[in-house]
Amino acid sequence: MKRLAMTLAAFLASTAAYAADPGVTDTEIRIGDVNIMTGPAAFVGKGFSLGSKIAAGLINSKGGVNGRKITVITEDDGYIPARSFQALTKLIEVDEIFALNGTSGTANVMAMMPLIEENNIPTVVSQAPAAIVYNPVRPSVFTFGASYSDAFYAQLKYIHEKNPSKDAVFGIIRQDDDFGKEVEAGYDRAVKEFGVKDGIRLRFKKGTTNFSAEAAQMKEAGVTVLANGGIFAGAGNILGEARKLDLQLQPAEVWSEGIPASAKLLAPAGYDFMVADYVSLTGPANDKFMEMAKQFVTADELKDVSRYTYASFIGLTSLAAAMEKCGQDLTRECTIDNLRKLKDFDTLGLSAPVSFDNPEQHSGTAVGVYQYNIKDGKFEERAGFQQY
Amino acid sequence: MRTGHFNETHSQLVALSTSRTVWGWTIAAITVVAAAPLLVGNYSLTILVSVMIAIVGAVGLNMLTGTTGLVSLGQAGFLAVGAYTNAILLSDYGWSVWFSLPMSGVVAAAISVLVGVPSLRLKGLYLAITTLAFSFIINHIILYAEDLTHGPNGVFVKGATMFGFNVQKGAPLFYMTLAVTILIVFGVLNLSRTRIGRAWMAIRDHDIAARVMGVDLVRYKLLAFAISSFIVGIAGGLMSLQLRFVNIDVFALILSIEALAIIILGGLGSIAGAILGAIFLTLLPEGLRLFFSLFANSESTFYTNYVFEIRGIAYGVVIVLFLRFKPDGLIGAWRDARKYWSNWPLAY
Repeated sequence: MKRLAMTLAAFLASTAAYAADPGVTDTEIRIGDVNIMTGPAAFVGKGFSLGSKIAAGLINSKGGVNGRKITVITEDDGYIPARSFQALTKLIEVDEIFALNGTSGTANVMAMMPLIEENNIPTVVSQAPAAIVYNPVRPSVFTFGASYSDAFYAQLKYIHEKNPSKDAVFGIIRQDDDFGKEVEAGYDRAVKEFGVKDGIRLRFKKGTTNFSAEAAQMKEAGVTVLANGGIFAGAGNILGEARKLDLQLQPAEVWSEGIPASAKLLAPAGYDFMVADYVSLTGPANDKFMEMAKQFVTADELKDVSRYTYASFIGLTSLAAAMEKCGQDLTRECTIDNLRKLKDFDTLGLSAPVSFDNPEQHSGTAVGVYQYNIKDGKFEERAGFQQY
Repeated sequence: MRTGHFNETHSQLVALSTSRTVWGWTIAAITVVAAAPLLVGNYSLTILVSVMIAIVGAVGLNMLTGTTGLVSLGQAGFLAVGAYTNAILLSDYGWSVWFSLPMSGVVAAAISVLVGVPSLRLKGLYLAITTLAFSFIINHIILYAEDLTHGPNGVFVKGATMFGFNVQKGAPLFYMTLAVTILIVFGVLNLSRTRIGRAWMAIRDHDIAARVMGVDLVRYKLLAFAISSFIVGIAGGLMSLQLRFVNIDVFALILSIEALAIIILGGLGSIAGAILGAIFLTLLPEGLRLFFSLFANSESTFYTNYVFEIRGIAYGVVIVLFLRFKPDGLIGAWRDARKYWSNWPLAY
């Protein structure tokens, strides 16, 4: 009898999957990714999902997480929060994921939040680092990325310090939503601290395409430094209208303009615009990353690599580092504990080191400043990663 | 050979159905659906709840657009009003879901009257654009009335219980949604065979003739707006319970377009059509996902790179083909099949 009990105990102990949470077997760990794979913003989701794929490829090529290979399962939400909820339900119920890396936009991750909390899913949010994601803090949610506020403050600080002028007139145009509010918070902090002239503050509704009136108002106000809170085509339209009126501007842009497709949209206006980001846009780390990525994705996919790819890569590798510390007894609780202890995790130079050991479980707040060189069609680093 | 059904009395003519077979199948279908929590997993239940919410919304829109002929693109706006009302009353004011859910409909209906009054002289595309404008106004109000709506941050919905069960997930949410769906569908079926329903159809077919016959256009159009919006508001309330989070981004314009697609694809003016359309369009992405998952291990790089685009295009193509070859919608296809069955082996 005793022998039988011991055999049974040894069997249970040797089968880690028996005690583990969903999504973990002896050979595999399933990670979920809810992303924007269709619709106008699909290139964001594609770039992001690519980061997960590259990270999984790299980890698996080194033997996986304690011998378990990572499988990433991607679901499309088309950027619609109701679909994000449904997609995560599917990932939890059907695919039985262990953890979540891709979380789509801000409203989308908020729609998924009740499910994340209820199932205690270790989640790294690196695509929508908005304050409402980490404030109040949710035990299983870890956020990587700086605020739009810091990103704009960093750019305006650089512009002000590089070429201080008493004649400088600052201005802002921003979306009329939570994102726009954060952009304005950074602008507000900058104009107050630098004591520069606050020329004009304009708001527009998401989806607006014609900015001719706004450009005329900016010209009237004599704006020379513009905090441009437009995204993708919107940002390009704003600069295009400014160029038509021959405004002499130094634009500061949202980090979404740091991806090649967006930069091309802004380039025809002819401004050497700036971007601040919590991931590196150029340099040896990026070159090294591209070389490494070639092993795990096709040449066709490689074209979709963007700043979102780096963010996602960092998200999954930091998650894997926490899982690795659990050894064979991999559970969600243990992963969450280790994510909470994660300190100065090396991201191969793609960002400042990641540390979640703070009350908000929020890292990646250090921001770098870059400028787009119209002639070369490339970004150049202007200021390294700093806390603002 | 089978013969057709011939109604001999007025009561037979206005009855929901004189066929025992129809009643039998209806009861059987409801019984099977009601047994779903015992038969399927949580994800399938989530899909079923989404289908039922779509049915409620489609039935509401069908009443306005299909039955009364008033084209609306404001569905997303009324859904938002219903969802926010339910969310705010539940989470911020601690109301019971017994009262907050009906109130979702009441508030949506009250606001619809405000939209309805200036829209009374409008028809067709003009009315569609007016209702679309209303949707934008609602978005702005929700965004700016931060003290009430929490602005762009949205509202987490919590505290909905009925008989001690949390009706925001699993079987309790499923049964509550099922009960509401049955109530709404049978309510609308009954309403459409009353004096009000016939007046709506008369307005749709020829509003001037209807007026000559004594139909009060102002009264009946406003009534159509109010009752339709009440139902859509309830659908919004149910959505907020299922999602447990409402934010203005949830109620994008695409929802209004999808709602119109549902009733057109199902068959305009038919409640059964609205139900079939809602089932078809809600399950179509799921069906496509299952279909494409058969090729998940395909070695084709093209497929793995473009699976999401292929799925999106297939979704559009199915809708276009259906509208091209079955303009009467799914209910038209069903009627054709029934006629074929009754007349077989003769074609007509």
